[in-house]
Amino acid sequence: MSTPTLDIRNLSVSYSTPRGELKALRNVSIQIPNKKIVGIVGESGCGKSTLISAISKLMATNATVKSGEIEFHNSDILKISNQQMSELLGTDISLVFQDPMQTHNPVLSIGRQMVDIQFRDRLSKVEKYNRASEMLSLVGIPDAEERLKQYPFEFSGGMRQRIAIAMALMAKPSLLIADEPTTALDATLEVQIIKRLRELQDEIGCSILFISHHLGVIAELCDEVVVMYAGEVVESGSVRDVFHSPAHPYTKALLECDPGHIKEKTRNLPTIPGEIPDLVNLSTGCVFAERCSKKHDACEERPQFSSLNTEHFVACHLTGQENAL
Amino acid sequence: MIGYIFKRLGLAAIITVLAVTLLFLIIHMIPGDPITTMLGPRATPELRAALEERMGLDKPLPIQIVLFFTNMLRGDLGTDVFSGRAVTAIVFGQLPYTLALIFVSITWAAILGITLGCYSAVNRNSLGDRLAGILSVSVIAVPAFVVSLYSLLLFAVKLKWFPAIGAGEPGNLPDQIWHLVLPSLAIGLSWVGYIARLVRASMLEVLGEGHIRTARAFGLPKSWITYKYALRLAILPTVTVIGVGMGFLLSAAVFTEIVFSRPGLGKLVIDSITTRNYPVVMGSVLFSTLIFVASTTLADIINALLDPRTRKGS
Amino acid sequence: MTSDVGKMNETKSRSELSDIFYHLVRDPLGLVGLIIVGLIVFSAIFAPWIVPYDPIAMNIPDRMQGPSLSHLAGTDQLGRDTFSRVIMGGRVALQVAIPTIGGAITIGLILGMIAGYGPKWLDNVIVLLFDTVRSFPTVMFALAVVALVGPSLNTVILVIMVTSIPTYGRVVRTLTQSLRNSEFIEAERSLGASVFRIMRVHILPNVIGPIAVLAAMDIPTVIGLEAGLSFLGMGVKPPTPSWGSLLNDGYNLIRNTPWLIIAGGIPLILTTLGFTFLGEALRDVVDPKLRGRGK
Repeated sequence: MSTPTLDIRNLSVSYSTPRGELKALRNVSIQIPNKKIVGIVGESGCGKSTLISAISKLMATNATVKSGEIEFHNSDILKISNQQMSELLGTDISLVFQDPMQTHNPVLSIGRQMVDIQFRDRLSKVEKYNRASEMLSLVGIPDAEERLKQYPFEFSGGMRQRIAIAMALMAKPSLLIADEPTTALDATLEVQIIKRLRELQDEIGCSILFISHHLGVIAELCDEVVVMYAGEVVESGSVRDVFHSPAHPYTKALLECDPGHIKEKTRNLPTIPGEIPDLVNLSTGCVFAERCSKKHDACEERPQFSSLNTEHFVACHLTGQENAL
Repeated sequence: MIGYIFKRLGLAAIITVLAVTLLFLIIHMIPGDPITTMLGPRATPELRAALEERMGLDKPLPIQIVLFFTNMLRGDLGTDVFSGRAVTAIVFGQLPYTLALIFVSITWAAILGITLGCYSAVNRNSLGDRLAGILSVSVIAVPAFVVSLYSLLLFAVKLKWFPAIGAGEPGNLPDQIWHLVLPSLAIGLSWVGYIARLVRASMLEVLGEGHIRTARAFGLPKSWITYKYALRLAILPTVTVIGVGMGFLLSAAVFTEIVFSRPGLGKLVIDSITTRNYPVVMGSVLFSTLIFVASTTLADIINALLDPRTRKGS
Repeated sequence: MTSDVGKMNETKSRSELSDIFYHLVRDPLGLVGLIIVGLIVFSAIFAPWIVPYDPIAMNIPDRMQGPSLSHLAGTDQLGRDTFSRVIMGGRVALQVAIPTIGGAITIGLILGMIAGYGPKWLDNVIVLLFDTVRSFPTVMFALAVVALVGPSLNTVILVIMVTSIPTYGRVVRTLTQSLRNSEFIEAERSLGASVFRIMRVHILPNVIGPIAVLAAMDIPTVIGLEAGLSFLGMGVKPPTPSWGSLLNDGYNLIRNTPWLIIAGGIPLILTTLGFTFLGEALRDVVDPKLRGRGK
């Protein structure tokens, strides 16, 4: 097995807040294999944004990395200098963010912004413009040359997100991190963009870290999936394993509540009762215990990871025991 | 865009008309007859008769206003009570000095202020930022004429580093610039603080926006992000502020001209008040109002030009 | 029952005021501002009792002296004690500032609420009025009026008040407009609440905070304006001591003695610093966005 593109080991990140230390990520370990698409699933507050900011080293000033390594291209991202990181960003690691309406500078033309991010390349301006218009065509924006002269407000949300993807892939990165890129778009657009993303990934051969709370998209696009809850990884494995044979109660609940999964017509959509725990004052037991229908005495203690097969891991006391409660 | 310019100019015209009308009404609301009000007690009978005819004081008030306007548009703002020279000519003679003073003051204040504001925003909460913050707040409200007096006292009278009087020899540019140093410093000082704080706040807001995060995510150099991406957006409010600030600048210029005995609109007004040369007073006030309206309009238009969203009509 | 609710409201507004005060004192700049303003107000109120000499009493043999133990700030060209004149000048400054700002706030409040809440045509008219008044450079306008009417304290007050009205009016108008569309106002309207009640109970309390901040920042401007006009000889009439007229005397005698200018300028600088610091600290306290951020 070749080295993974991104190897996150035991990452813990905390924020210092007036109320105390907010432990946003605790012992998170995720691997992104070469040329694969890994999805991260979880509700708000699960730590996805913190994870991304840690990987890209664009963390808030009150955030501290408590432990862990993030290995990329044979070096630990957490240990390299800001200068070295800035050389990686936009070349080997690219990001696409959630809100396409805020992604671009409103007073500079799209062409100008797409040329600016090529600032490291020794090409003429014309060549850079051509590259930009090629990328735009690739993501399905017609009349690319003309549109380069236009400003962000002249594009719809869906097109802006495509532009963002074009910009991210322009430098042919090894890793693309996409933070809920289709959440702000409607369903038809979502389908198109996911399809295009898959095609581009095939062509360019990069790895993708894809964050979403839309299970259908993850199932469609990703090879592997990681389920996060309140700052921890609770289950991970191939999409097949995790979605067809979910082992963690949280994963099961997510699947049950997913509108795409529901077979019969109903008035009331199921939800998971309760709220995510207070990340400042955490209990010592399983982080999901409060909301778990299968909670029992063992859950006072934090569960360890157990493997169901070579790829499928879950952190729950119930695995290895009778599961049919 | 053109539509916006026209709309803005139209608004400026309406306001000018209203302002002039207001001034006119004030003159007429003063107890006593308007001619004495306008010409003061020094008016000769010939002047009074001439004014009466020009203003059409026997005609109904609305017609008087219209007459006033037509005269104004023809460039006729009346004549000096003593010399008989046209007020317009007198005002135009003094205007360049005031404009030069204002221009130099706001230019150096803007340059220093924007630099300081940028630095403060990028190095937020650093020692430099905190110091700059306290200094900025301190200088903002101190009246310009107090600063003028103190700098006159210290740098001109006591230390004799700079001239205390006048605008310098005509035609001698270095001398004139030398004479501009203290006055423009005095006027610009409070503006440095104001602009610095404005730019800082504006920059902080812009730096927190999504597109800056994108720029950082692409590894763009920090100086690029600060100046090309953030400052470009952050500077928009500053333009408007300077345009509106013209009114305050004119006011500050009045005091500074008096303190440093410089020629200009301010000195003209004060001297004319003292000598009861009312047509000149009114003419100067009118003129400064026109300048003010023009500068706010210009600022709005420049702002619209800089922001492509207004330019293309989003 | 109703008395309980009344008491609740009373304690609420009292605790809000003390809450504001509490935060103000914690902010170092705010504390400094509070102290300075307190000193100035105190000396202005008790001026007639704390001045060491009669501010307008002439004493020619002792004229043009520098600071000494008997005359803390020296004497002017007529032998009057400068320090006493400075303290009395504070009184004049506040005598101008308070009615000016008070009047401007009152009228601005009324016009602003009408503009924000009333029909669109009325709003347009009021806004146009505001813009027109604002189009006059303040000092020029003041000079024009003074030229026509003659210098006096009341003229100064009137002129500055009129030119200040748009400042408050606009802020009130914007706030009223945004509040007018909020849901709980709609609810009140559907319950049949009269316009006056809505304005008094809902809009007014929300508007007071920003107005207080504006006023605090405006006071130094107004005081500076009065001083400036007096400096030009267009403000208060002699022998009433104003910081501005002190500076005028100092200016005329600048080559003879620096002390008059120094003495006249210091209170102005202190006042502007004090009120500005206070205003800044108030804004930090009142602005809901900044509240709860802590240090």
